[in-house]
Amino acid sequence: MSNLRKLDMLTRVEGHGSVELIRDGERVVDARLNLFESPRLFEALLVGRRFDEIPDIACRICSICSTVHKVAALQGVEQALGISISRQTGLLRELAVQGGQIESHALHIFCLALPDYLGVSGFQELAASVPEKLQMGLRIKKLGNQIQAIVGGRAIHPFNLLVGGLARVPDTGQLRFLSEELAAASTDVAASIAYIFNLNEILPTLALVPSCAVSGGPSLFGDCLVTSVGTSIPVKQSARWLNERIEGHTHAKVSHFDETTPFMVGPLARLLLSMPAEHVHRFTDRSIKSALKARVVELQLAVRRAQELIEYLVTDGLKNEPLSAVGHVQGEGAALVEAPRGVLLHSYRFNDRGICRAANIVTPTAINQGAIAVSLKALIATMDGAGYAQVKRSAEMLVRCYDPCISCAVH
Amino acid sequence: MRKLRLAIAGLTACSGCQLSLLNCEDELPALMAQFEFHFFPLACSPAVLEGEYDAAIVEGCLSMPHEKELLHELRKRSRYLIALGTCAAWGGVTALRNGEDRELMRQQVYGQSPVAVETFDPLPLGSLVLVDAAVTGCPPEKEELLKLLAGLTQGALPVENDYPVCTECRMRENLCLLTERDMLCLGPLTLGGCHARCPTLSASCEGCRGPVPEANVKEYLALCAKTGRDEEAVLGRLHRFWPGWVL
Repeated sequence: MSNLRKLDMLTRVEGHGSVELIRDGERVVDARLNLFESPRLFEALLVGRRFDEIPDIACRICSICSTVHKVAALQGVEQALGISISRQTGLLRELAVQGGQIESHALHIFCLALPDYLGVSGFQELAASVPEKLQMGLRIKKLGNQIQAIVGGRAIHPFNLLVGGLARVPDTGQLRFLSEELAAASTDVAASIAYIFNLNEILPTLALVPSCAVSGGPSLFGDCLVTSVGTSIPVKQSARWLNERIEGHTHAKVSHFDETTPFMVGPLARLLLSMPAEHVHRFTDRSIKSALKARVVELQLAVRRAQELIEYLVTDGLKNEPLSAVGHVQGEGAALVEAPRGVLLHSYRFNDRGICRAANIVTPTAINQGAIAVSLKALIATMDGAGYAQVKRSAEMLVRCYDPCISCAVH
Repeated sequence: MRKLRLAIAGLTACSGCQLSLLNCEDELPALMAQFEFHFFPLACSPAVLEGEYDAAIVEGCLSMPHEKELLHELRKRSRYLIALGTCAAWGGVTALRNGEDRELMRQQVYGQSPVAVETFDPLPLGSLVLVDAAVTGCPPEKEELLKLLAGLTQGALPVENDYPVCTECRMRENLCLLTERDMLCLGPLTLGGCHARCPTLSASCEGCRGPVPEANVKEYLALCAKTGRDEEAVLGRLHRFWPGWVL
């Protein structure tokens, strides 16, 4: 049974990890997030595979984020091989990514995080105590899945998105259906914002570390990283700037930026940095405890953006297009996309037969490990004297503010 | 009526099979009336195994020692143990380089640092414990997952399919991607049950549901050779979800 103590597992997050409290006598003096998820070694699995197989395999890194992994991998491959995609393909891919954003945020807000605020164990108790709120969340979540299924062919691991285009372009009727559903969902989303903003606080105000986001704002795409310390890093230099290294206590690599500063990525970072400035005033506390509010605001941004994208697509007129041709087989390329939890980078190198020789994937939860460590230290400092169980509960709630996705982080 | 007690666990995987359950947004209320999701760390706190379970539904393959212990523990406590998804049933995408030097692969990712040195070639659940039933797919079809749960309420396990993706593809009157469009479609070798989801959108079957019983690999490879397909590419595709093909 020795290893089963690892069942002291962080719950209501994707993947396997734990928050370990370090004690000096009775006092809790430090806390650490251990990501002991089994590594699947994706960056090694991808080596030796042909370029058109990369996105199909890479999206299996994570289910909640499978659409955004697929799209980031597609764009990384296309960058490497000089493949340019049509406007229609770009719009449809973005629509699928917005669908993923909606699904992931709704899942986190209404199934994974809300129990913390209401002092219950999970969705079963939510169904008993706030059934209409859970239903509302599930309706929004379902819409995110419908978008991913119509564009990607399936809610998880979308197969319809290919290098250079789509296997089958959705028809106008399907997009009109989504548009109607999105319009209907705006009432639920507005009600969600009102509800989430009025929940009682469960954590103290803890300062944020500097933040980092992909440049494109509501589109979730972009060609550089922007930071709250004023730097701007083009996609090609992102991997070096993120500077991942291996540390003993976690199976996920840890980003080191300029050697010392941890950065935060995710909804709060985006709202402070790259999203329309009209929402910044809602986050003047500049504290990680507001991450849930940031997610629900982003839900609204994603719903609106998805409606906009459908409008562009329908106005342009949907048409079947052949897949774009491969420019050259050999090359290197990278792509940045905002995943629900923050900056995602996929970067690949191919040889003269189009076979992958190197893959590098940097995920938001891996990046956030540094920020989580800082937050945990700050929390422990504010809770000096509190008992083990109380600190443990707060520490887990704090980690959940980052909505960690541990399969992504370790991959 | 007593609610059935479930343990839902993930091993080495992407959580997609468990998410497929949470993606049953319309059916969740009815499911909650029939089942107690007692151990379900992805969605419920705390993660504590306690007492016995009517069924353990397990996603993912085995690739670390602590997962073997967890699986034994789940098996011991459960009347039925169900492998959910292709990783649990066959090894899945994580196993695609099984048989190669795993330590070398580990070093490709972690260098000389001793992180996760305990990792081993991914194995399906059946290599360690008795598996009562499997629902395959990457991800599994929601419909099959719901059928499994509905069956459990009657004390029954799902009837396993024995036909390939092609059977359902023909029934949907799709153009044959393999013979009529010259695409590398794995439909003839892959277990059906997905209503030919991918070929129906003109995307090749990538074999995500694992092998169909009595798959005629030899004939498939001969057909590919006849149409001048690169054998390396065919084999690579074949091994994406299961490294165990006997050629």
